[in-house]
Amino acid sequence: MSFGKKTAGVLAITLTFGFLTALSASADDGKGKRLPSFTSAPSSALYKQECSSCHFLYQPWLLPERSWQAIMDESGKHFGENLGLDAETDKEIRAYLKANSSDKTAARWAQKITSSSEGMTPKKIMDVPWIKKEHREVGAGVFKRPSIGSPSNCGACHQKGAEGNFEEDFIKIPK
Amino acid sequence: MKTFKGLATLAAVFFAGSVYAAGPNAQMSQVLDGLKKEAGAASFSAEEGRKLYNAKRTHSQKKEERSCTTCHTSNPAASGKSTAGKVIEPLSPSANPQRFTDPKKVEKWFKRNCEWVYERECTPKEKGDFITYMMSLK
Ligand code: HEC
Repeated sequence: MSFGKKTAGVLAITLTFGFLTALSASADDGKGKRLPSFTSAPSSALYKQECSSCHFLYQPWLLPERSWQAIMDESGKHFGENLGLDAETDKEIRAYLKANSSDKTAARWAQKITSSSEGMTPKKIMDVPWIKKEHREVGAGVFKRPSIGSPSNCGACHQKGAEGNFEEDFIKIPK
Repeated sequence: MKTFKGLATLAAVFFAGSVYAAGPNAQMSQVLDGLKKEAGAASFSAEEGRKLYNAKRTHSQKKEERSCTTCHTSNPAASGKSTAGKVIEPLSPSANPQRFTDPKKVEKWFKRNCEWVYERECTPKEKGDFITYMMSLK
C-alpha cells in the first residue's frame, strides 16, 4: 500500500517535471504561458472579397509584414494580373495584413514563419523555408494533380486551412 | 431589433428573388440602359454575347489560348475554376441568382477578365451583349 503511494508520488513529480520542461522548451508569450500553434485572425469581409475570389483565403500570419508590403506594392502585376484595387481598398487591405502578419501574431507557427524567413522577403507562402520544409515529403507530382492544381491551393489538402488550422488531423490529400 | 433585422433580410432576399425572375433588378436595368447609350445601340444581342463567351484568343505574351470559358467552363450554369484552382460558382443567374445583381462587382470583373482574355477592356456593346446572354439562360 505504502509502496503504491510512493510510486504515485514519484510518477506525479516526474510528470510535473516533464510538463514543465516541455513548457520551457516551447515558445511562450513572454509571461511563461505556452502559445497555441495557430490562431484565426479576425476576419475581414473586404480581404475575403478581394483576395479569395481567385485563390485560397490565406491567413495573414502566413507571411511577415514586409512580404505583404511587397505583394501589395506589386498589385498592378500580381502573378501577371492587374488587381485594379482602388486607393481605399488598397489602404484597408494593407492595414489588415500588417496588423495580422506573422511578426504580429502570437502563435508558434507564425513565429516559425517569422524566424525562418529572416533576411528574405518571400512572396509565396511556399517560399517560407519552414513551410517548404514541412512539405518536403509531398512530391511535385502531387501538387500538380488536377484536384490540387498548385502548391498555392492550400485548401485542397488542409481542410481547415482557411481558419489557420493546418494540424495533421485535418489533412486529406485528394487523389 | 434582431427580429426586425431578420425580417428585413428575409424581405430583401424575397424581393431580390422575385425581381430576379422577372429579369435584371433596378440597378442592373440602369446599368444596361447606360451601356445602351454609350454603345449607341438600340438593343443588345444574346447571340453576340454567347459568341463573346465562347471566343478563343491567343495571348500575345503568354502564347496560350484564353477564353471566358477557361475559368467559367463552356457551360455558364456549371461551376468553374480559377487559375489558382479555386472553385468559381456558376456565372449564369439561372444557376446562381446572386449573379448580375451588383453593378460594382460586375464592372470590376469585366475589367479584370476582359483584360486577361482580350488584353483590353470590353466595349459597352460587348458588356451589354454578355449580360443579355447571361440573363437569357434558363
Ligand atoms: C482567369 C479566370 C477567369 C476568366 C478567364 C474569366 N473569369 Fe469571369 N470571373 C472569374 C472570377 C475569379 C470571378 C469572381 C469570383 C466569383 O464571383 O465567383 C469572375 C466573375 C465574373 C463576373 C461577375 C459576375 C457577378 O455578377 O458576380 C463577370 C461579369 C465575369 N466574370 C465575366 C467574365 C467574362 C466576360 C470573361 C471573358 C472575357 C470572363 N469572366 C473570364 C474568373 C475568370
